[in-house]
Amino acid sequence: MNLKDMFKKTNARAHYISLRHSHPEVPTGLLRKCNKCGAAIIAEDVKNGYYICPKCHGYFRVHAYRRIEMIADEGTFEEWDKEMDFANPLDFKGYEEKIESLKERTHLNEAIVTGRVEIGGHPAVVGVCDGRFMMASMGRIVGEKIARAVERATEEKLPVILFTCSGGARMQEGIVSLMQMAKTSAALKKHSDAGLLYVTVLTDPTTGGVTASFAMLGDIILAEPKALIGFAGPRVIEQTIGQKLPKGFQRSEFLLDHGFVDRIVEREELKDVLAQILDMHSAGGHASYEPAQTEPEAAVEQPEAPVSAWDRVQLSRQKDRPVGTDYIQALFTDFMEFHGDRYFKDDHAIVGGIAYFHGIPVTVIAQAKGKTTKENLDRNFSMPSPDGYRKALRLMKQAEKFGRPVICFVDTPGAFCGLEAEERGQGEAIARNLYELSGLEVPVLSVVIGEGGSGGALAMAVADEVWMLENAIYSVLSPEGFASILWKDSKRASEAAEVMKLTAGDLKQLGIIEQVIPEPENYTDQNMESVCTDLDGRIARFLNEYTGLGPSELTERRYDRFRKM
Amino acid sequence: MIGKILIANRGEIAVRIIRACREMGIETVAVYSEADRDALHTQLADEAVCIGPAPSSESYLNMQNLISATLISGADAIHPGFGFLSENSKFAELCEQCNITFIGPKSRVIQSLGNKSEARNTMINAGVPVIPGSKDPIYDAQTGAAVASEIGYPVIVKAALGGGGKGMRVAQGPEEFESSFNTAQKEAQMAFGDNTMYIEHFVQHPRHIEFQILADEHGNVIHLGERDCSIQRNHQKMIEESPSIALTPELRKRMGEAAVKAAKAAHYTNAGTIEFLLEKNGNFYFMEMNTRIQVEHPVTEWVTGIDLIKEQIRIADGKELSYRQEDVHITGHAIECRINAENPAKNFRPSPGTITDMYLPGGKGVRIDSAIYSGYTVPPYYDSMLAKLIVHAKNRNEAIRKMRSALGEVIIEGIDTNVDYQYEILNNPDFISGNIDIEFIENMSKDAD
Repeated sequence: MNLKDMFKKTNARAHYISLRHSHPEVPTGLLRKCNKCGAAIIAEDVKNGYYICPKCHGYFRVHAYRRIEMIADEGTFEEWDKEMDFANPLDFKGYEEKIESLKERTHLNEAIVTGRVEIGGHPAVVGVCDGRFMMASMGRIVGEKIARAVERATEEKLPVILFTCSGGARMQEGIVSLMQMAKTSAALKKHSDAGLLYVTVLTDPTTGGVTASFAMLGDIILAEPKALIGFAGPRVIEQTIGQKLPKGFQRSEFLLDHGFVDRIVEREELKDVLAQILDMHSAGGHASYEPAQTEPEAAVEQPEAPVSAWDRVQLSRQKDRPVGTDYIQALFTDFMEFHGDRYFKDDHAIVGGIAYFHGIPVTVIAQAKGKTTKENLDRNFSMPSPDGYRKALRLMKQAEKFGRPVICFVDTPGAFCGLEAEERGQGEAIARNLYELSGLEVPVLSVVIGEGGSGGALAMAVADEVWMLENAIYSVLSPEGFASILWKDSKRASEAAEVMKLTAGDLKQLGIIEQVIPEPENYTDQNMESVCTDLDGRIARFLNEYTGLGPSELTERRYDRFRKM
Repeated sequence: MIGKILIANRGEIAVRIIRACREMGIETVAVYSEADRDALHTQLADEAVCIGPAPSSESYLNMQNLISATLISGADAIHPGFGFLSENSKFAELCEQCNITFIGPKSRVIQSLGNKSEARNTMINAGVPVIPGSKDPIYDAQTGAAVASEIGYPVIVKAALGGGGKGMRVAQGPEEFESSFNTAQKEAQMAFGDNTMYIEHFVQHPRHIEFQILADEHGNVIHLGERDCSIQRNHQKMIEESPSIALTPELRKRMGEAAVKAAKAAHYTNAGTIEFLLEKNGNFYFMEMNTRIQVEHPVTEWVTGIDLIKEQIRIADGKELSYRQEDVHITGHAIECRINAENPAKNFRPSPGTITDMYLPGGKGVRIDSAIYSGYTVPPYYDSMLAKLIVHAKNRNEAIRKMRSALGEVIIEGIDTNVDYQYEILNNPDFISGNIDIEFIENMSKDAD
């Protein structure tokens, strides 16, 4: 017999009848069902919790005005073009009635709300699509409101932030709808040419003509987690190719991996991230950098026993040597990483983004080795693919647009040698970087912190000055490769190292680099302080000198620097 | 009228509530997680509803499922027990919105008492003593020193963003203040990147004394005397007793009045507990109010003869208190030991598993509140408390002897328990003489090393 049946119960009555006047019940509207996980959730929690399911963390779509409330400083939103005249270019039957009933139901005048806000005290022009209005498809009025907002932003020299969410073109408006793609893109081109910032935030779903126009044109493209983003809809693709699509296809994470999204931002952080991005773009890089108060040019101490070149090669490859990300963390504040080359991939061998140096925004790009095997596999042992160089170049061009200096940390055994790398044009990618960097109209500094392996290193070192850490190396090829080409014996690498002139000291003598940064003995991320203090002062002096130069002087000097070699 | 109660809890407290309901002729609904199918409360209640998988976040903390279970079973009220959702103002509010009687205070009272600074201000305004401290943030040692002498030494300097003992220093006198402040501030700057500091009076070697309160919805508030809960390890109470040897009748009266004042100021209803820190010199300070029934409520029940769970239900049903302050008399001495499934030799590591055999003591003045039985498997998901052993005797000495005798009889096989550790405490000369404070266990384990 079950324990349960052995215990005597309170009441023999089969059914309890409450004697109270009113019975417990759930008032309407208190609970709602999550359309993602199916759980019953408290409606109030959803509303106060950024419209995120507290159970499955799925994102609900957000109405335009609520979205603006979530990101704008309180009371700063000023709506533009609230009233627009309806147009039915194709005289599509029933269209006007449909729009009228939607207007009434949603209290929106069209599928997008535009206006001016302040975020973290920084003014910006925003546009937010609202999916309730014909799935925020882009008709003439949507295109017009965006174009007007962007034009006004150009005039008032304001950044633009657009929240996308759209089914694409509006069928009822036919070819006129298609033209909105060109119209909005053209307005954004003018805005960009004026040196102004454009940020897009892709939300679920962003498809069709919106993806193929204003959604993908941001200087910085953010996306909400798991949002569907694509040109053709997944159903259409499946029907066309007759295949089942992989899980996660066309989701934000997929786009991040494929280099089209800079960053996936959780809704809770979105306001802070936008405020920081605006802050980083509120002042150009042409400011003066106070050099840190350290002894200038600490002399390189001569080690008691001279270190051989081969020893330095090995030191430069030491497992516990500080890596690119360590320097980013130690020398800069508020580093915001941006991803992707906008063509094919986000290469983890290169880490790049914007950070503050002494309170002033700079673009920082590092070839990044990992600290563990797992990290190294993810970062491909810091051997960049073409996608990595293209990401670096994209960030450098972005820095140029906004007048930010570029600081590169070089640490690679060499550009990745593999099938895919060749397929996607490793040579082209490196060449393109050398070409573009030579004319980049902002100061560029490269610091070789470990291995400077060949063209893979040079692609991030066509700079105004190149510095090296005392035990870093920089060479045309690895000593192993050198020995095997010249002497057909890679075991003679140590011998090769001695004749290659690849140490910092040798390269300074050869005039290939400008400065050598002394290192402490057994240099690891635990004793970086002296190097970082030293670097901090040197970088400040570098920036102070080079940000004072005009673009033509800067590029002319850089030209001469390599012309002499 | 409450005729059926859903108990939103598990373990011995769920069993305790079911028993009280039985005596009152109220039907009971147990809720259980998938891991608690065989738990005693599940078997004992008139009905039982499964509310989700083993992790408490998906079962005993799942508000929507609890509300659904209440509606389905047709219960009038929810008793939250302790832990889980018992002090969750959101849950209490949800019950209020769904016309379910929450057996506890009103949601807004739970909320305002749960907010530390709000509760502190309420108590200051009501004239209940709180630990004196700086009102504004302090950034330099000079301002700090002035505030410290106003507050009274010893003082403790704390980082605003502090935690884990970092950015915290005690200064016994003015001569130590500057160095203590600077060290704490430097540490705070390093650890939290913030140098905002606060200063507060440092309560040295205090006892944890708490007062049991009952308040009905008609404005009547009484206290049922104190419990001394100084024997605690990492803020987890191990032994509680009532009355406290440290309180004179005069001090009991003053502290009791302060407790009643505190409850009134908070517009408190139902059973609650005001926690104080008591200094050797007789100064006492409000710490916080627990807005629920406490684990250690049986010691109060025994010395006062009042069934706290039944009173809770009566109050929630809108009835007036059955007792006035003058009806409350403390008789004899009660001690409670918590029996946990844990291994004191291995840093009190939890010890879930199957109880292969057990024997629990009984006899005059011995009470066991537990939810274990022979063959029961203690699941690894929840609190490790297995049982509470409570004794009652004429005076403290007799109670200690009775407890020793009872602990000596406890047999729980198959899993590790802290019974022997408790036995050791009961034999400790300092405990026997009543020379205890909240650092007792820490000092005892130091002596052992």
